[in-house]
Amino acid sequence: MLEVKNIHKSFSKVPVLRGIDFKVEKGEVVAIIGPSGSGKTTLLRCISFLEKADEGEIVFDEYTHDMVHISKRDIKKVRMNMGFVFQSFNLFSNMTVYDNVMEGLVTARKMDRCEARKKTFEVLEKVGMLDKTKNYPGELSGGQQQRVAIARAIAPDPKVILFDEPTSALDPELTGEVLDVMKKLAKEGTTMVVVTHEMGFARDVASRVVFMENGVVVEEGKAKELFENPKEERTRQFLSAMSKHE
Amino acid sequence: MYYNVDIMSDRLVEILVSSFMRILIPGIKVTVPLTLLSFLLSVFIGLLLALVQVANIKVLKEVARFYIWIFRGTPLIVQLFIIFFGLPSLGITLNAFPAAVLAFGMNLGAYNAEVFRSAIMAIPKGQLEAAYMIGLSYPRAMARVILPQSFPVAFPNLFNNLISLLKDTSLASSITVIELFTSAQQIAARTYEPFALYCEAALIYLIFSTALTWLQRWIEKKLVWESSENDKDKDKDCGCGRNKAMIG
Repeated sequence: MLEVKNIHKSFSKVPVLRGIDFKVEKGEVVAIIGPSGSGKTTLLRCISFLEKADEGEIVFDEYTHDMVHISKRDIKKVRMNMGFVFQSFNLFSNMTVYDNVMEGLVTARKMDRCEARKKTFEVLEKVGMLDKTKNYPGELSGGQQQRVAIARAIAPDPKVILFDEPTSALDPELTGEVLDVMKKLAKEGTTMVVVTHEMGFARDVASRVVFMENGVVVEEGKAKELFENPKEERTRQFLSAMSKHE
Repeated sequence: MYYNVDIMSDRLVEILVSSFMRILIPGIKVTVPLTLLSFLLSVFIGLLLALVQVANIKVLKEVARFYIWIFRGTPLIVQLFIIFFGLPSLGITLNAFPAAVLAFGMNLGAYNAEVFRSAIMAIPKGQLEAAYMIGLSYPRAMARVILPQSFPVAFPNLFNNLISLLKDTSLASSITVIELFTSAQQIAARTYEPFALYCEAALIYLIFSTALTWLQRWIEKKLVWESSENDKDKDKDCGCGRNKAMIG
C-alpha cells in the first residue's frame, strides 16, 4: 500500500539515508527501531515530504512518484491520505482541541461542518479527550496533547499514519496513556508506521519490525522473530543493550 | 516664595488654561486620526513586505528589501518633504494631511515589516509542518496557523512603533498640517510664552501616549490563548447536537 524505493538523503554532504527500501501493507503496524542518528526520523520525514529526498521513489495509493521531482500538488495529494504524529505534538496553539481536529476536515478537506463535528467528537472520544474540547493545547499535559494530536491525525481517515517517536517527549508516567491509544488503533486495523524507542510496544504491538542503523536497514522481520531470534549480530547487540534499560 | 508666584503669573495661568483646549482639540481631531490612519497603512505595508520575504517570492522579495533599505535609510522628515513639496513637480499634488499619512505610513511600514518578519520567524517550524500534514497549502497554513500566532508576538513591538508614530506626527507641522504641535506653536508665537506652551503640548502628547500604554496592557491580557467562559458554546452554527447517539 505504501512503498518507498532506494531513498537517499544527505544533510550537508553527510549521508543520513543510504538506499532505503521500505514497504507497508494495509493493516500492518511497522515499528522502526535503531540507535539515535540511524535515520529513522529522516526516513519518516522523507516519506511525508517534510524533507526532500535526494533520490528515491514512492508508491502510494496506487500512484508512483519520483521523490525528487514530485509536484506540490502531488505532495498535497499524498499528504491528504497520510496522518503524521510528531514527537513534539505540534498542536496549533491558537486553536482549541476541537478546532485542532476540525481544521484538517473543514479547511483542508472541505467536509461538511456538521459531519466534521461528528467525526471530531468521535475521534476525541476514541483518544479519551472529550472533556477537553474547549481547551487550548497550552492547558494540557504532554500526554493529553499527544492524544489530541493522534485524534487530529486519524480524523480524516488516512490510509496510513506515521508516528515519529510519539512518546519520546513525554514523562515516563505519561507514555502509557499514549501507547494505549496507539494499541487501540492497531487493534482496529489502522495501518501504522511507528519510529520508536519503546521496545515493549514494538515487540507486542507491531506486526513487523525494521531495525535501522547508519542509514540502512540492517534487518527486518516479524516482530516476534526479530526480537527472539535476530539474525544479525548488530541487531542482537542493540536489543540486548535496550533490554537492560527496560 | 515670590519667585514661584512670579513665574506662574495670573496672565500665564490664564493663557495655559485657555490654550489647553485649543491644543487638545487639534490633537484629537488631527493628531489622533493622522496617527491611526498612518498606522493602519504601515501595518498593511509591513505585513505585505514581511509575507513576500518569508514566502521567498523571488522578485517581490528583492523589491521588499529595496523598499525597506530606502525607507529605513533616509530621514522621515526628508521623506515627508519629498512627498509634499517634491512630488508636485512630477505633477502629483497631495493635500498636507494625505501626504503626511502616506509619508508616515510608508516609513513605518518598513519598520513594521521587520517586526512581522521576526514574529513569523519566531513561530516553531513544527507548526507549519503540522499544518502541511493535515493537508493545508502554504497560504492557508499562513492564514490559519502562522499569522494568528505571529500577531501576539509582534504586538508589543507594533505598539511601540505606534507610540513612536504618535510623537513623530508632530513633524507634520513642517508641511502645514494644523495638528497638536502646530497649534501650540501658533499660540506660543502669539503670546511669547514658548516654555509654558511647549510644555503644555508635551503634556498633551504624554496624556495620549499614556492612554496608548494602558490600551496596550489591556489588549495584551486578551491575547493569551486559554479557554474562557465566552468560548464554551462556540460552534453552535450547525444543527447537529453533541449527544452520545451522534458520537456513537
